[in-house]
Amino acid sequence: MLFRNKKLVYAATAGFLLIVAFVLPSSLSRKGKGAVRGVVAPAERGTAGLGRRLSEAVAAIRGMGGAVEKNRDLSHELVRVQARLNQLRDAEADNVRLRRAFKFHHQSPHSMIPCDVISRNISGWWNTVRIGKGSADGIQENHAVISSDGLVGKTIEVSKQTSEVLLVCDPAFRVSARIDRANVFGLVRGGGVNLKGHPVAQMDFIDKDTEVRVGDEVVTSGLSGEGGVSPKGVHIGYVEKVHRDASGLFQSAEIAPSATISLLDYVFVVSAGATEEAP
Amino acid sequence: MMNRILLFGGIAVGALVQLFLPTWPMFGGIKPPVLAAFVLYYSLHRSPRGMWIAVFWAALLHDGLDLGGFGPALVGFPVIGVLAHRVRLEIFVDGLVTQTIFGALGAMLATLVAMVLYAVTGQRPFHFGYALLQIIGSGLLGMVVLPLVSLVMNKLEALLPKRRGYGWQ
Repeated sequence: MLFRNKKLVYAATAGFLLIVAFVLPSSLSRKGKGAVRGVVAPAERGTAGLGRRLSEAVAAIRGMGGAVEKNRDLSHELVRVQARLNQLRDAEADNVRLRRAFKFHHQSPHSMIPCDVISRNISGWWNTVRIGKGSADGIQENHAVISSDGLVGKTIEVSKQTSEVLLVCDPAFRVSARIDRANVFGLVRGGGVNLKGHPVAQMDFIDKDTEVRVGDEVVTSGLSGEGGVSPKGVHIGYVEKVHRDASGLFQSAEIAPSATISLLDYVFVVSAGATEEAP
Repeated sequence: MMNRILLFGGIAVGALVQLFLPTWPMFGGIKPPVLAAFVLYYSLHRSPRGMWIAVFWAALLHDGLDLGGFGPALVGFPVIGVLAHRVRLEIFVDGLVTQTIFGALGAMLATLVAMVLYAVTGQRPFHFGYALLQIIGSGLLGMVVLPLVSLVMNKLEALLPKRRGYGWQ
């Protein structure tokens, strides 16, 4: 009888949903999210692996198509060999990429945890990626995530098996930074993605009397709050434009972050205790 | 039973598809609304119980896999589900035009609800021009996604073994 009163059912549902949306404690919310992510993580890993294999196959087919156009009169055997060669080239490129990451991992003085990217953000509202390691592998929140190209972002919402990485370009991202040439400090915050699809960031609170040039390198300062870990001297990007703050007290600089990330990438999470200066 | 399995499995696969689809800046960076399309499909084709199961399962997956608190989908999906379910008997639910219009409206409404929630809680910055681009972009994506989801689900449901019909059922 109670369920026949539709208005009451709708009101109760709306009340419940609003309570969940606004009143649910964050610890409870995170536990719920951790459970959902734990269930979905194996499927995400499988799909990401499938995506990698698919992209390799597409690359091989593209190469084969080109070979067919160029060598229309050649025999099938030659095409097969060409395709095989393309596959080997892909494997070689992959090998070079992994060696680069491995070398970077061993050259860096920081203690780092290698991770693979397993999925993107589901809604598009946040500039995040999910990596396939979590608290069970020693990852904690607010730790810097870097690749051989520079700073990628920081860990946020770590569950047992996976971690969300807030990318440098997300408007919620903040990191203390330094312009390497001028040795002047500031705060880098994400600026989203522009209409061309390129990530953007901005460095604020730069001393107004210091000369900042287009092309100056921006690196992390090593200062971090909220119990986070951010190593010193990690490359963030280059200055693209400089302008005066609205108050006239500071300068701001638009930055193009160097480390862009895709589902095919491997990243490193800087683990606790890593505060040495990068070479 | 098989329909329920298809509901849970289909929505889970939909979540994976939405996770791996790219975003396009010209659509305001919003992902193609695959899960919202599943909610609309089940709201237009099922009884209230089926609709609510689809709504909560899709919302749980969406908000569970997204950053921030539970909310944007948990509030948005019931709204579009209830509204679509109310008018389902007055329209031809399998028509392409109906699905295109409902796909656009549903996606725009879900985006609007998320936008309001994020703006109220201060989780995302609000810029009017970009917000407009996001709403229009999600509408355009929804126009494409719902007909595709409906097509796939209709085909899959047609493959399911049919229940024996007894006169008294």
